[in-house]
Amino acid sequence: MSFIINFIRAVLDAMLELFSFGRKGISNKLPIFVKTNTGKQISLNLDPEWNISNVKRLVAPSLGISPDEVKIIFAGKELEDCTRISECDLGTQSVLHAVKSRSRSEIETKSKKCLETLFDDENVGDVPSKPLSSTLVDLQLKGEERRDSESNIKAKAHFFVHCPECKKLCRGKLRVRCNICKGGCFTVHRDPECWDDVLVPKKIQGHCESKEIACMSDEENGLPFAEFYFKCAEHGSGGEKDYAAPLTLIKMNLKKVPCLACGDISDPVLVFPCVAGHTSCLDCFKLYCISRLQERQFISHREFGYTLACPVNCENSFIQEIHHFKLLEKDYYDRYQQFGAEEFVLQSGGVLCPQPNCGMGILVDENCNRVHCQNGCNFVFCKICKQGYHIGDCLPESAISNNMSVSEFSVNPSRVAGARWDEASKIAIQVTTKPCPKCRTATERAGGCMHMACTRAGCNFEWCWICQTEWTRDCMAAHWFG
Amino acid sequence: MSCPAERRLRKELLELLTNPMPGIYIDEEKVAKNINEWIVTIEGAEKTIYEGETFQLQFSFNEKYPFDSPTVLFIGKIPVHSHIYSNGHICLSILTDDWTPALSVGAVCLSIRSMLSSATKKERPPDDMIYTRTCSKNPKKTKWFFHDDTV
Ligand SMILES: [Zn+2]
Ligand SMILES: [Zn+2]
Ligand SMILES: [Zn+2]
Ligand SMILES: [Zn+2]
Ligand SMILES: [Zn+2]
Ligand SMILES: [Zn+2]
Ligand SMILES: [Zn+2]
Ligand SMILES: [Zn+2]
Repeated sequence: MSFIINFIRAVLDAMLELFSFGRKGISNKLPIFVKTNTGKQISLNLDPEWNISNVKRLVAPSLGISPDEVKIIFAGKELEDCTRISECDLGTQSVLHAVKSRSRSEIETKSKKCLETLFDDENVGDVPSKPLSSTLVDLQLKGEERRDSESNIKAKAHFFVHCPECKKLCRGKLRVRCNICKGGCFTVHRDPECWDDVLVPKKIQGHCESKEIACMSDEENGLPFAEFYFKCAEHGSGGEKDYAAPLTLIKMNLKKVPCLACGDISDPVLVFPCVAGHTSCLDCFKLYCISRLQERQFISHREFGYTLACPVNCENSFIQEIHHFKLLEKDYYDRYQQFGAEEFVLQSGGVLCPQPNCGMGILVDENCNRVHCQNGCNFVFCKICKQGYHIGDCLPESAISNNMSVSEFSVNPSRVAGARWDEASKIAIQVTTKPCPKCRTATERAGGCMHMACTRAGCNFEWCWICQTEWTRDCMAAHWFG
Repeated sequence: MSCPAERRLRKELLELLTNPMPGIYIDEEKVAKNINEWIVTIEGAEKTIYEGETFQLQFSFNEKYPFDSPTVLFIGKIPVHSHIYSNGHICLSILTDDWTPALSVGAVCLSIRSMLSSATKKERPPDDMIYTRTCSKNPKKTKWFFHDDTV
């Protein structure tokens, strides 16, 4: 009986609340969506001062149940009645999930819960708790740090992402969904405690109420796994498909560590994955990347891609998540991608087009010396000497400029006009650059010595400008200079 | 806002002026004019073969400092030492291959001073003649074969 009275009262309250929107205006209301597992979507304007019990009363009528029976799930956690909306890290257009509690006892534990929040250590699994975002504040911290920071940050989680929408470094928010149906109405069985919990698949189980029938996996206990992902917290939520790559090395500088390069204390910072945890401000990180990029000192790592290690040359300090390089300005990022692609080509036995201003990476046929820059400038060249393609043996370097007409160019009418200029710069480039005899990367000669060192990372071959072979003591004696 | 290189150099300067290192003096006036060019005076340490002599080091920094090493050479009177060429170039691995942004002007000065202190004989490097005739003006462009592992 009391159940029905409660229900009617709830409906009335809900209606009153809906009417009150008109009076209060919409100034600080938060528009959100509530999805039910029966397939309904309700849009609501929430007052940040409300708590979850208000939301339950608003939603219950659409589910045809009492507010007591409603569970509200957000970001992998069931939210408690007394949690305030402003504590939940909801953005506009966020999606909450509302479902009917499965059992009577679940409802009872829950209503007690709010009074006993201090003692909720046992039974953590199914008990409604704080929003996931606030339990995650210390995910990036360990042991001692966690203790001393507890007092000075009550703030929200501080994850960082590279947002493709805002095109910059943004604060990020962690979200979770079911690994089977991808539905967001998912409750985790334990909080993630480290990056691995979040980034490595199938670490944490939970249960899914996105569909009317709970999702089941092939695991022993039949439970599905949590699938974590990140969103940008700085632009209005673009719905459930709005992802951003987490930048795991960007951290809040809670310990006020000065930048290893400029010495400033800034926030946030990038902490290299070395044992020492060398820390750099973001400006210096960009500077570091740019200077290494210009010297082609990035490394093609088999697992991580085209990347860099800690500038102090620490062991095992490669940046694993190459999205960090998206922090570079567009021009530099483009160059990063280009160099990365070229490096890939070279490592797979390909060649770079020798035409000035082209440099297109071309994968070649092992048995054929004729290379066509098909997707670039259309130049046809010899794989071995990098001059215009020819039949027979490669000509010695000095004979080439006189014999240009012998080379077979594939004539592209649109390029004929520019050919003279190309020819001129081709001669210029022969004067100042020669390919490294080992990796064939064009190397400029600087200064008076004939002693060259290939600057390409991983090659570093020392060679002689004259002999175009390895630099030897004989070279020093015979033609160190001049 | 100044660039990171400049901020870093100002911090290093302040540190060296507030906590000076023995036998190492910064030409403050010169630095004040241009933060990217430093002149540092080094005194030969007591009880070494350079006791009583002073030498001047010139540091030049580019905008990539401290990710790029500074260019460091002796100017004026060049110490006679087996790792120092008569044109002022220094064969010291931390100035090129082993440079890291964790090093600093102070650290470089200390290493150079201790390199001087450890010498027992005043002599030029064996390849001094040919090197000084052929090398680039910038010692960083030299691919050094470090004379031994102790430097
Ligand atoms: Zn964004
Ligand atoms: Zn599911
Ligand atoms: Zn910095
Ligand atoms: Zn490190
Ligand atoms: Zn091409
Ligand atoms: Zn050829
Ligand atoms: Zn090479
Ligand atoms: Zn040679």
